[in-house]
Amino acid sequence: MTKWYRENAPITADKLADELMRLKRGSVTRRHFLGVTGLGLATAVLARQPGLFNSAAFAGDLGTQMSIATWPNYHDPATFEAFTAATGVAVEVNVFGSNEEMLAKLQAGGTGWDLFVPTNYTISTYVKLGLIDELDMSKLPNYDASTETARFTNEGIVEGKTYAVPKNWGTTGIAVNSNKIKAPVTSWKEFFDVAITEADGRAMVHDYQLTTIGNALVALGYSFNSIKPDELVKAEELLIRVKPHLYAINSDYQPSMRATDAWMTMCWTNDGAQLNRDMPEIQFVLGKDGGEIWSDFYAIPKSAANKAAGYALLNYLMTPENAVKEHIANGAPTTDSRVLKLLPAEVTSNKIVYPDEAALTPLEFGAAVTLTDPGRAELMARFKSA
Amino acid sequence: MQAAMNTKRNLVTAALVAPAAAWLCVFLVLPFIAMLIFAFGERAPEGGYQAAFTFAQFANLPTRAAAFWNTLVLAPVGALLCLLVAYPVAYYLAVKANPRYRLILVSLVVVPFWTSLLVRTYAWMYILGSRGIPNLLAMIGIEDVRMLNTPGAVLLGIVYGYLPLMIMPIYVSLEKLDRRLLEASADLGGRPVSTFFGVTLPLSLPGVMTGVALVTILLLGEYLIPQLLGGGKVFFIGNALVDLFLQSRNWPFGSAIAVTLVAVVVVVLMVAMRIAWKVAGTRQVDLV
Amino acid sequence: MRAFVSSVYLFLYAPIALVVLFSFNAGRNASEFTGFSTAWYGKALGNTFLVAALQNSLMIAFTSAALAAVFGTMAALGMERLGTRTRAVFDALFAAAIVVPGVVIGIATLVALVAVFSFVNPALATIWPGDQPPQFGLGYGSIIAAHGLFSMALVTMIVKARIASLGRDIVEASSDLYATPLTTFRLIVLPQILPSILAGFLLAFTFSFDDFIIAFFVAGSKTTLPIYVFASIRRGVTPEINAIATLVLVASLLLILTARVLMREKKSKSGE
Repeated sequence: MTKWYRENAPITADKLADELMRLKRGSVTRRHFLGVTGLGLATAVLARQPGLFNSAAFAGDLGTQMSIATWPNYHDPATFEAFTAATGVAVEVNVFGSNEEMLAKLQAGGTGWDLFVPTNYTISTYVKLGLIDELDMSKLPNYDASTETARFTNEGIVEGKTYAVPKNWGTTGIAVNSNKIKAPVTSWKEFFDVAITEADGRAMVHDYQLTTIGNALVALGYSFNSIKPDELVKAEELLIRVKPHLYAINSDYQPSMRATDAWMTMCWTNDGAQLNRDMPEIQFVLGKDGGEIWSDFYAIPKSAANKAAGYALLNYLMTPENAVKEHIANGAPTTDSRVLKLLPAEVTSNKIVYPDEAALTPLEFGAAVTLTDPGRAELMARFKSA
Repeated sequence: MQAAMNTKRNLVTAALVAPAAAWLCVFLVLPFIAMLIFAFGERAPEGGYQAAFTFAQFANLPTRAAAFWNTLVLAPVGALLCLLVAYPVAYYLAVKANPRYRLILVSLVVVPFWTSLLVRTYAWMYILGSRGIPNLLAMIGIEDVRMLNTPGAVLLGIVYGYLPLMIMPIYVSLEKLDRRLLEASADLGGRPVSTFFGVTLPLSLPGVMTGVALVTILLLGEYLIPQLLGGGKVFFIGNALVDLFLQSRNWPFGSAIAVTLVAVVVVVLMVAMRIAWKVAGTRQVDLV
Repeated sequence: MRAFVSSVYLFLYAPIALVVLFSFNAGRNASEFTGFSTAWYGKALGNTFLVAALQNSLMIAFTSAALAAVFGTMAALGMERLGTRTRAVFDALFAAAIVVPGVVIGIATLVALVAVFSFVNPALATIWPGDQPPQFGLGYGSIIAAHGLFSMALVTMIVKARIASLGRDIVEASSDLYATPLTTFRLIVLPQILPSILAGFLLAFTFSFDDFIIAFFVAGSKTTLPIYVFASIRRGVTPEINAIATLVLVASLLLILTARVLMREKKSKSGE
C-alpha cells in the first residue's frame, strides 16, 4: 500500500477494525458504521442484487426497506429517519384519503405495505375478509395494554384476539379561517350554510364517504352512521346542492388551507392542531350537533412482504419516548397514559387536541356497517360525479 | 415443390405474427372478455366482484350521466381550443419560419413531452393556486380570484398537455403543401386572406382532422388533468371509473362503465372519420 | 403572428421553467422559493425509493419498448403476407389497442389478471410438491405487458406505413437477382425501415416512461416514477421531485441533441 493511498483512503485499516469492534459491541448503529467506513454506498448497491449479498445478516432479518400506508400529514418525518438510522430499514410512506381506498388496495392485492393505519370501524371487516394478521404481541414488548384507554382500543380486539393497536384518537371537526369568514360556524348545519354563502367556492369536504356523508346527515339532524335509505336521500340532496359551491373534494386540505385557497374545511384533530399552530387565524371547532370521534390503529396486512420490519417499526412507535415526539408533531391526542405523562403542558392543555368531555358528548364513533354499505359507497360516487 | 414452398412461406408468416397475436389475445381480447363478464356481475357485499347475471349495472349508467356529459362536452371543446392555439403555430412553423431555425423550433414543441406530464400539471397547480396568478392579481388590486379547481383550469391543463399532439399533424400537412401553389394564388391576384381560405386551409384539413380526432379520443379517457386541476369537482368519466375501483370497490359497475366508454370512443371515432371524409374529401386520414 | 407564436412557446415552457427553478429551492416546500441550493439533487439521488422508482420506470420503458419494437416489426412484416380477412382482424385489434383509453386498458388488465390469479394460484398450491408454491401477482410483468400492448400497436402502425411506401418492386428486383428472402430483408428492407422502427421504439419508450394511469392499476406493489410523483403530490411535493424531473429533462435533451448530431454526420458522410 503506497503512502499516498494510506493518507487519502476514506478510512485507515486500524480505524476500520476499531469501528467494526464498536459495531459488534453495539455501541454504534449500523448506519454510523456504514457511513464512517464508506461501506454504505457499496452495501446499498449490493443489497439491490438479491442473493448476491445477504442484507439480513446486517440488519437482523429486517431487510433494507419497508412500506407504510397512512394518512396525509400524519407523522413526524424525523420519526422514520430516526428509525432508519437505528435499523437501516428505509421507510416508504404512502398516504390515502379514506379507509375505503386502503381497503380497495388491499382487496385488489399486492399493496406491498408492511404496516398501515386503519380507523376503528374498519378493523372487524379486515378481520372478516382475512386481510390482516392477528398481532404477535411478543414482538411488541413496548406496547402496554394496561396503560391504554379502553374506549379507544377495544375495536382493535376482535373475538379476544388483538389485530390492531392504537396510534391515537381524534375527532372530525371544522377548520375555519377566521380572517376570511366572519359568520359563526359551530355546527355542521352552519358549515353547509356558510359553504354556500360566505365561503362560496372556498369550502372543502373530504373525499371520504364516512365523514362527508356522515356530517351531511348530522347537519340534517340524523345519525352520523345512518344507512337508512330515506335519510341518505336527504343527505345526497344536501351534498349535491352544496357541491357547485365547494372549492374541492379532497382529504388533503392542509395545502389549500395554508395557501388560503380554501377558507373552511372538514378537518381531523391532528390537521386542526397543525394548522392552528402555524396559522392561529385557522380555528378548529367541533360540531355541537354531532360528528365523528375516532381512533386510528396500526395493523399488519396478511400480504406484508417484510413483516419483521413492520413489527420493528410498530414496536419502535409504541415506545413512549418515540410516540411522544410523534404526538407533538402530529397533534392528535394519545390513547396511552405513559405518553400523556411525557407530553408538555401546552399540548395537554390545548383544547383542540384535548377538548372538554362535554364537547365530545354529541360525537359518534364510525360504525362498521358504513364501510361496506353499498348505499353509502354509491352515494359518495354519485356525489363526486354529479 | 410449390406446395412445400407455400408451407414454408406460411410457417414464416405465422412465426412473424405469432408473438403479436399472442400478446393481443392475452392482454387485449382476454381482458376485454373478462371486463364484459364482470359488467354483468354483482358487487360483493364487502366490495369487489361476485358472479351473477344481471343488467343492473347497465341500468345504473344514468347515475353517471353528468360525468359522461362533462367528458363528451369538455373533450371536443378542449380539442377545439387546442386547435385554435395550435393552428397559427403550425402555420408559422411550416410557412413563415426561417428554414434555418425551423427544425429547432419544431423540436422545441416536442421537448415538453420529455418532462413528466404529472410534474408539469403540478406546476400549473402552483401557477393557478393563490400563490401564483391570483397573487399577482391581488397586487394590482383584484382580490380573491379563484382559478384552481374550475372547469377553466381543467381546459387550460388540457390545452397545455395536448398542444404538441395538435401542432405536429397540422405542421406535417402544411409542410407538404407546395409553396408554388401559394405563389400561384398570389400571382393570380388572390389576397393573402383568400389564399389562406381558398388554398392553405383546405389542404391542411387532413392534418387538422387528425389532430382534433386524436386529441378528442385521448381526452375521452383523461383522468390526471381533471384530478389535479379540477379538485375532484370537474369529473370526467375516467375519474368516475377510477373512483369505482379505488373507493366504492364496485368492480361490476366500473366494468360496465368501461365497456360503455369504449363504445362511446368507437362511436366518436366513427363520427370523426365520417366528418373527416366529408370535409377533407379524402379517405387518407391517419389517426396515428 | 410572431408575437402569438412566441407567447405559445412561453406558455409551453413557463411551467417547465418553474419546475427547474424550484429544483434549486433551498426550502423544503415546493411552493415558496426561499433561496438557491443544489441540496435537493443530492437528496433525490440519495432517496432509495425515488431512485428505485426511476430505475423501475427506465427498466419497464426499455423492456416494453424493445419487445414492442421487435414483435411490432415482425407483425408489420408478417401482415403483408396475410390474407385480406386475417389482416383485417389484425388491423382492427391493433387499432383497438391504440384507441381504447389507458384507463380502460388498466382496469381490464387488472380485472383479468386478478381473475386469472384467483384460480391459478390455488391450483398451483395444490399441485406444487414443495411448501412454498410460487404466487403470481401484479408487478413488473403486468406493467410491461400492458404498456407493450399499446407500444406494439404503435410500432406496427408506423413500420407498416413505411413498408407500404417502399413499394414491392425493390423487393422483387432483389429476389429476381436470386437473393434469398433473408438477404433481401437484411440488405434491402431492414435499412429502409430501420428509422421507422427506431422512431416507434422512442415513442414507445416515452409513452411507457410517462404513463401513470395504466401502471396505477396494474403495478401491484411496484412503484414507477409517475406513481411515485402522484403519491408525493398527495403527501406534499418536495423539490426532490423537481430535481429528478430536471435531470430527466436534461438527459432527454442530451439524447435528442446527440441523435441530431449523429444524423447530421451521417447525412454529410453520405453526401446529402
